[in-house]
Amino acid sequence: MEHVERLVMFVVLLVVQMLILNHICLLQVAMPLLYVYFAITFRRGTPMWMILLWNFALGLMLDMISNTPGLAAGCMTLIGFIQPYLLEPLVPRDSAENLKTSAATLGLSKFVTLSAILVSIYCLVFFALESFSFFNWQLWLLRAAGSTLITLVLIFAVESIRSK
Amino acid sequence: MRNLLDFLKKYHHWFLFLLLEVTSGVLLFQYNSYHGSVWLSSANAVVGKIYEWESEALSFFTMSKANEELATRNFYLERQVDQLRRLYAEATADTTEMQRRELEFLSQYQLIPAKVVDNSLNKMENLMTIDKGRVDGVEVDMGVACGNGVVGVVYLVGDHYSVVIPVLNATSSRISCTIRGRGYFGYLHWYGGDPTIAYVEDVPRHAKFKLGEWVVTSGFSSIFPSGVLVGKIEQAYNSSDGLSYKLKVQLSTDFSCVRDVVVISDKSIAERAAMMQAARDSMNVRQR
Repeated sequence: MEHVERLVMFVVLLVVQMLILNHICLLQVAMPLLYVYFAITFRRGTPMWMILLWNFALGLMLDMISNTPGLAAGCMTLIGFIQPYLLEPLVPRDSAENLKTSAATLGLSKFVTLSAILVSIYCLVFFALESFSFFNWQLWLLRAAGSTLITLVLIFAVESIRSK
Repeated sequence: MRNLLDFLKKYHHWFLFLLLEVTSGVLLFQYNSYHGSVWLSSANAVVGKIYEWESEALSFFTMSKANEELATRNFYLERQVDQLRRLYAEATADTTEMQRRELEFLSQYQLIPAKVVDNSLNKMENLMTIDKGRVDGVEVDMGVACGNGVVGVVYLVGDHYSVVIPVLNATSSRISCTIRGRGYFGYLHWYGGDPTIAYVEDVPRHAKFKLGEWVVTSGFSSIFPSGVLVGKIEQAYNSSDGLSYKLKVQLSTDFSCVRDVVVISDKSIAERAAMMQAARDSMNVRQR
């Protein structure tokens, strides 16, 4: 069941990113990268290898779509690796071993913390690698910050719809 | 050996992480030279197909705009062809003169693209509504044509919509037309029934023409410029009084699917109509 849910989410995020979000770039800096949501919401206790492979696969697919081989795959793998370590101190005491990661189970503030950290790491690394050859740190920060913001807004929107 | 295995087991996620990151790195730095990246990019068949579908879906929404432009363009080109044909027949050797007159001819029209929002075919007195009105410059008695040929005449004008009397109106539609290249003229009339067939009446008995020749507007009416396509002659009959021919014409406009039309606004036509009216009035005064 868990895998089916993952797969559905995988496909939906991929299609949404491909057909809608990839065409959006607010003020030429902010790109909505909603697919990071996929990496945030792995359950507590999911085997690390599984998280890494899922994230790598989604990243690779996104790379195929947007012609950036290795870029999203690398970044997704990175935050997939960080997510369990970050999640552990945030889960409430005495909670289940396979606790779902959502605003409802963690509490809103902790979910926001988790998402904000992961998304900002993702955006910083993503835009650093993307602009590798002509590095302009002001533009880099601006793009990372803008994209983090718009991505977080989208993630909370999706999360609030899903929790109902 | 045992220790090594334990070590691998304990830190296997580190190794997987590094492996995947190295793979990404290799992809990132190797394939960004673009060569050989075909299967990992949107040139890949599946991704390409999906993008093709997307662009097809999007183009569907922009199609009506394209249609509108095409209808206008088609009308322009047809006018141009007609003009050239006429000039060629006149065979003036002076090409700059020809060009000048052609431009003059085209610049006197103002075309207002419009969409048919309501249309009927099955009555005797069909009417058609278009989505342009007084605000857009449409006036009563302006001609309406589409890319394929003549459509009708503006009858009522509202602020944003107008009612057109199409050719398919048995009681009110009379459009002056002529056989292309021959010069004889008559009036286009529709008798109900088949929306693809109309008749040209009052063609003189001495007229020479062949079946399959084209009928176009004559430009004598104060509504259409000359040379707007009407249809093809299918058959010729004697009129009931035996003084003229009646031509059965296959209409070039398909009224069942006409959607994009242009309203033809021609200043010189209006001027000619006013002139004609003035002449009639003065004759009436003289008769009294």
